Amino acid sequence: MTRGAAPPRSRADTPAWLVQPQAPLRPGSRVGRRRASFLERTLGDGAEVFRRAMYAEIDGSRGALQRLDPRAKLVALVALLVAVALVHSPLTLVVGYAAIVAVAWAGGVPMRSFVRRVWLVVPAFTAVAVAPATLSVVTPGQIVVPLWTWHGAPQGLTRQGLLAAALIVLRVACSVSLVLLVTLTTPWNRLLGALGALGVPRIFVTIIAMAYRYLFVLLGNITDLLMARKARTVRPPDHGAGDRRFVGAAVGTLLGKSHHLAEEVHQAMVARGYAGRHYALERSRFVAADVLVVLAALAAAVVILGVDRVLR
Amino acid sequence: MHIPDGYLSPQTCAAAYVLAVPTLAIASRRVSRGVTTRQVPLLAMFAAVSFLVMMFNIPIPDGTTAHAVGAVMIAIALGPWAAVIAVSVALLFQALLFGDGGVLAYGANVLNMAIVMPFVGIAAYRVLAGRSALRSTRRVVAAGVAGFLGINAAALAAAVEFGIQPALFHTADGMPLYAPYSFAQTIPAMALAHLVVAGPVEGILTGAVFAYLAKANPEALRGTHGDLVTSPDAGASRPARVGWSTPAKVAVGFVAALVVLSPLGLLAPGGAFGEDAPADLDLGALGLQAIPAGMARYTGFWRHTVLADYGAGGAHATLGYWLSALVGIAVIGAAVYAMGRLVGVFRGRRATPASAVQD
Repeated sequence: MTRGAAPPRSRADTPAWLVQPQAPLRPGSRVGRRRASFLERTLGDGAEVFRRAMYAEIDGSRGALQRLDPRAKLVALVALLVAVALVHSPLTLVVGYAAIVAVAWAGGVPMRSFVRRVWLVVPAFTAVAVAPATLSVVTPGQIVVPLWTWHGAPQGLTRQGLLAAALIVLRVACSVSLVLLVTLTTPWNRLLGALGALGVPRIFVTIIAMAYRYLFVLLGNITDLLMARKARTVRPPDHGAGDRRFVGAAVGTLLGKSHHLAEEVHQAMVARGYAGRHYALERSRFVAADVLVVLAALAAAVVILGVDRVLR
Repeated sequence: MHIPDGYLSPQTCAAAYVLAVPTLAIASRRVSRGVTTRQVPLLAMFAAVSFLVMMFNIPIPDGTTAHAVGAVMIAIALGPWAAVIAVSVALLFQALLFGDGGVLAYGANVLNMAIVMPFVGIAAYRVLAGRSALRSTRRVVAAGVAGFLGINAAALAAAVEFGIQPALFHTADGMPLYAPYSFAQTIPAMALAHLVVAGPVEGILTGAVFAYLAKANPEALRGTHGDLVTSPDAGASRPARVGWSTPAKVAVGFVAALVVLSPLGLLAPGGAFGEDAPADLDLGALGLQAIPAGMARYTGFWRHTVLADYGAGGAHATLGYWLSALVGIAVIGAAVYAMGRLVGVFRGRRATPASAVQD
């Protein structure tokens, strides 16, 4: 469409809004200085959910870590998380993080995203949140960097505060990395099977599995709702009461649709012989390597705590 | 509010699991009672909805956005036990799939957002909505306020979990091992964020979704509002005041709220500003030579109190303190009761001519 090239001959008949140049109707497009509305951002988030999920699904087939039994990985994960949570010295965690990265590298995990997903999030949330705790106002102790005085007493960054902040930031980084190491190398359905095998009640596993599947259906529904609204919108939307009312209606519609869908899905399940039991397609076998991994994780946990006892 | 791993000590996480796991077991039993298999897809759908609701960022006036949890909304539509399961599953997704919220801290997150929040919310909703009609404004407002209260209760629970960390877990030289902030810091910080930002968002969302469902799809509310859905006009034709808010109930509720909130006073450090007796003033620090004349003259103006200094003057100081606390509670309760009666009398006077005309 060549906007503005040919002057409309019947301008008098044409509604004013049709003559005005308009932003292209594309989700997530940011035209000029107009800020992307929260609806567009929600759409963007939805696309991100899709992307990451697809990514996780694809990545489950190759590498040594990927072939391990998910049950072994979950047990190892919990053991290592507890060990990391009990560490008292930041130095131990630095060594621990290096070891996690080394394992990820050896296991064929894409390194860039593995490191980036941790270090983009941890400084933004954890580091900012614990920064004030380095001050003597919050964490009293031995002052390393004096900044000001209060009634004659020097105030500033304390040794205790800095160490505590480092400890928390590193511990969060290690914990997130460990969880990522498992989720990036395990397809979602196998992870769920492992949860069931480890004693999570069957009804939960079934609900989780179905919720995951219908997440995408419902996300598609939301995308359609937003797109339909965008297609009907002829002037820049007001970022206020109208939007809020729309969100209310959209979530309400979503609830109604999911209610309806659940009813139909249930009938379909019963028609196919569902009687409360959910079967996994593949049955994984515990082999020697898996036992070895669990033992190695337990040994690593003991080593971490032993090293920490020396360093603290 | 999704607590990541590393902020809470393993002991705290274990305690949270001890509370969360049996609640989840009760919830799955309560929900799957009766109809056996139908609830499975329904709960799965609502878990997905809850996850998506947490993705819906809502614009707030200062230009930023905040997201809601949706636990209260699901509790109103499906009942609190269904909300427990739906939000727990959504939280599990977030912990495992997106690293939002920790694995060890999952129990604590479930406790805050999937247990405390829907139950506080549904209790508030039931009290506030009373027996009003399904499509009445009061019910929408009740849903909104319930969402607001629910998320703030969850935030308070999180603040308490953070706040106990530095006191319980620190090294010998005072280095905190987990979350470094004490109650006096976590509670105001969480309260500010949730009273001002996340609370209104949750409230608006809950109210808006409820208004939409009541108007456009009352069938979705049948499970929890059965009698109201079958006869939508029945509520309207009923007398508007069925008497849930009798003066006695309001008085008891008020006193109960005070009793629950009063431990907050323990968090305030030091004495109460401006409440010292003149003799206790540190005149030197204030740059004064003597107690100001007016203060000295009027300080003893009223000496006829029954329980001076909260009964601390007598031989049994603790007993006196407790006695004065009980007397105080009773007096405040009686005062609220009297006000309620007074309001009732005036309302009755105003309402009588109208009803007389109708009759």
